[in-house]
Amino acid sequence: MRGSLLVMRLLSFVAAAVALLPCAALAAGDPDPAYLPELRAAAHARKLSEHVQWRRLGRWRDGLTGTKSEVDGEAFFLAPGGKRDPAAELDATLAAFFEPEPADAAAEHPQCRFPARFAFLARELGIDPARLPPRSCPRFEEFWSRLAARSVTLVFSSYYMDNPSSAFGHTFLRLDKVAPSGDQLAGVAVGPGAGSDPRSAASGDAIAASEARYELLDQGVDYAAKVDTGNTLLYVVKGLAGLFRGEFTARPYFYKVREYADYESRDLWEYDLALQPVEVAMLVAHLWELGHTWFDYYYLTENCSYHVLGALEAAAPRIHLLQRARMPVIPAETVKALYDNPGLVRAVRFRPSVRTQFELRAAGLSRAERHAVEWVAARPQTDLAFTDDATRARVLDAALDLYDMRRAKDVVRGDAGALAAREELLTRRSAIPVQSPPLRVPVPRDRAPHLGHGAARVAFGGGGSTREGGFATLEWRAALHDLVDPPAGFSPAYQVEFLRARLRWTERTNDLRLDDATFVEATSLHHFDRFDRRLSYRLRAGAETIRDGGCRSCLAAVAEGGAGPAQLLLGDRLTLMLTGDAVIHGSAALSGVNGSGARLGLGPTLAVRVLGARASLLARAGQRWMPAASPGSTFELGTSGRLHLGTVSAALDWRRTPLAHEVLFSLQVFR
Amino acid sequence: MRASRIVLVAVMLAGAATVSAQGTAERTRQAAATGKSTYGAAGCGLGSLVFGDQPGGVQILAATTNGTVGSQTFGITFGTSNCGNAVVGGAGARTFIEANREMLAKDAARGSGETISTLSHLAGCADASKVGAALQQSYEANFSEASSEAVAEHVISTLQSDASLACGALM
Repeated sequence: MRGSLLVMRLLSFVAAAVALLPCAALAAGDPDPAYLPELRAAAHARKLSEHVQWRRLGRWRDGLTGTKSEVDGEAFFLAPGGKRDPAAELDATLAAFFEPEPADAAAEHPQCRFPARFAFLARELGIDPARLPPRSCPRFEEFWSRLAARSVTLVFSSYYMDNPSSAFGHTFLRLDKVAPSGDQLAGVAVGPGAGSDPRSAASGDAIAASEARYELLDQGVDYAAKVDTGNTLLYVVKGLAGLFRGEFTARPYFYKVREYADYESRDLWEYDLALQPVEVAMLVAHLWELGHTWFDYYYLTENCSYHVLGALEAAAPRIHLLQRARMPVIPAETVKALYDNPGLVRAVRFRPSVRTQFELRAAGLSRAERHAVEWVAARPQTDLAFTDDATRARVLDAALDLYDMRRAKDVVRGDAGALAAREELLTRRSAIPVQSPPLRVPVPRDRAPHLGHGAARVAFGGGGSTREGGFATLEWRAALHDLVDPPAGFSPAYQVEFLRARLRWTERTNDLRLDDATFVEATSLHHFDRFDRRLSYRLRAGAETIRDGGCRSCLAAVAEGGAGPAQLLLGDRLTLMLTGDAVIHGSAALSGVNGSGARLGLGPTLAVRVLGARASLLARAGQRWMPAASPGSTFELGTSGRLHLGTVSAALDWRRTPLAHEVLFSLQVFR
Repeated sequence: MRASRIVLVAVMLAGAATVSAQGTAERTRQAAATGKSTYGAAGCGLGSLVFGDQPGGVQILAATTNGTVGSQTFGITFGTSNCGNAVVGGAGARTFIEANREMLAKDAARGSGETISTLSHLAGCADASKVGAALQQSYEANFSEASSEAVAEHVISTLQSDASLACGALM
């Protein structure tokens, strides 16, 4: 009872901000039909359909083709042309609120279907509940009490290369059951640890038990594409063309933590938002509205991050989040948009993935202990040479995380062998009567996504070639990060570049041509050691200018992939990577295999990178043998140096190809 | 509840809210009982979300996309496909254990962790550290079962049987 009353009370707080209404008016009855024209007239007089919150609640945007809503589910609109007409939709909404209870028990009254619209109109128009009695909304109330939201957190799930839809990161909302208390306002990031009371322990402050945060019980709400294909190519095409449906879903946060932090080993960054109680209530009501409908999901624009921001904006008209959204909408950029609203981010927290937890546990172990971790994770029965319980517990704790890190997918899939081995480890650990102390996770502050450089990069520069003479270049990249870009906000193990093009003007011949056009280029580095034997890999698709004897500087389509071991040393400052690569070139002008326009190159590449906050350097040497093509081999040798000066980086690139030396100096501007 | 302070300012717009929370919980429980069959030992754990009724097709995306999302009547997907709501009390504790079995097993074996403190909260226990010690001690008896439902049963009875844990919400 209490919960359901609270629903209406909180909503009515929104509604009653303008008019204080007599309690006598509470008896539900039939609405007064004469009231509808009055409300409509009042709405017209106030031009309410142009109110920023009404526009945001209906997702209407002014575009080249006029005003149009981004919502694509037809049932979201009560007026026939509501998708393009906010005023007609407002009139129809008011009329719908006067409808009698639907005869079909499965149907919902428009007031229950659109509680945020109802709250907005009730507030703006001072709706008299005696003349328009509010309906009982059991389903919405159940949703409301399940969320029990008192605060809102935007969660950024880190870049994940194993899944193309996650390569740019992901954001979703968490609706928190506990409002942040004083000590949490400090903005200090605290890992959840593995300890006792999740938050209060760290503060040293005696927080009442009822106020302790149990984040796992909060609700995660995200917007995602309903993917209906396992075909990667189809996935890309449909994702770009908006052919998937995007929908909002709510799930307990423990599923989110399991999915991202445990299953995919992605660190989570949690941005605690300073929203007013009314705004939190409106957000819940609005999410309910969105949960009934769907949008066309556009991977590059109307994606997860975009609509999450749209929902926040609709709930809190004072904040502005989408005004800086541009194509492509990158999740980390949307996190930065929070900071455009001073005071909106109250605190940033970090929740380590199982991989991060393992690395931390392993770092605290001696060499012999780490050796034992590896053995026992692979063979759970292995005898441990250590006699004291604390050491045995530490070794097994690390081995458990290592096991979960390696076998996460098997465990989730319910693979019997994986579960049995895990069970053996767990049973061994439980036999040691030592309670593990909370894992204190140092927050990698410089990796917080809001600190990252702008996703888009424009570079202009000039240089010289021993073959072509002086030249000038102009390069543009839509997103996101390469191996020598400013490292703050990103993982050093990560490169994803999407849509990059370079124009080159050569002085001697006075011609301007496309030098390089990359659709996507990605590198995923894994430190290869006894605990993690995954290979690093890189891939690229696009077009590049051939600079060997294959043709006269022709532009050829290129698809390239390679894999091999890498080392990330000295706190990720030094990277060594050796890959075996395969590259396919195609161009009509190319002397390819047996005279065709296509050729295959095979060979190794060695890359060395030195990475610093202010400067970075990447050197690369690769050899390619090209069977049955002319010439039969080629190579590439080059270095890229960067000096990072805030939003601008100075770049010096040197390259040696079979036909020429080249030097290029350029300035890169991030935005 | 803190929110009642806000309520002081507000005026009731709707007195017609008559659905009791108990009735709601009951419906949820029924929906859970009649829901989709669980997948293997995953019960209502992540596996059930990931794979639904189709083991094999490894596609984590499904975790955020399956369910009753498209329903025009039910709206935003609630909670879990197979489970009830994790709220304070015996049923909520049971739901939490079933859905978090793998993580709880790890924390129980270690005698501490976030799932232990969350479970202690749901079960109304006085001291999460004591709960951790108790679950560590009884680990083998509790977690060796194949089904998550049985694991939940055992864990709950461990918490109930030890009076010193004072798990008030399970009484």
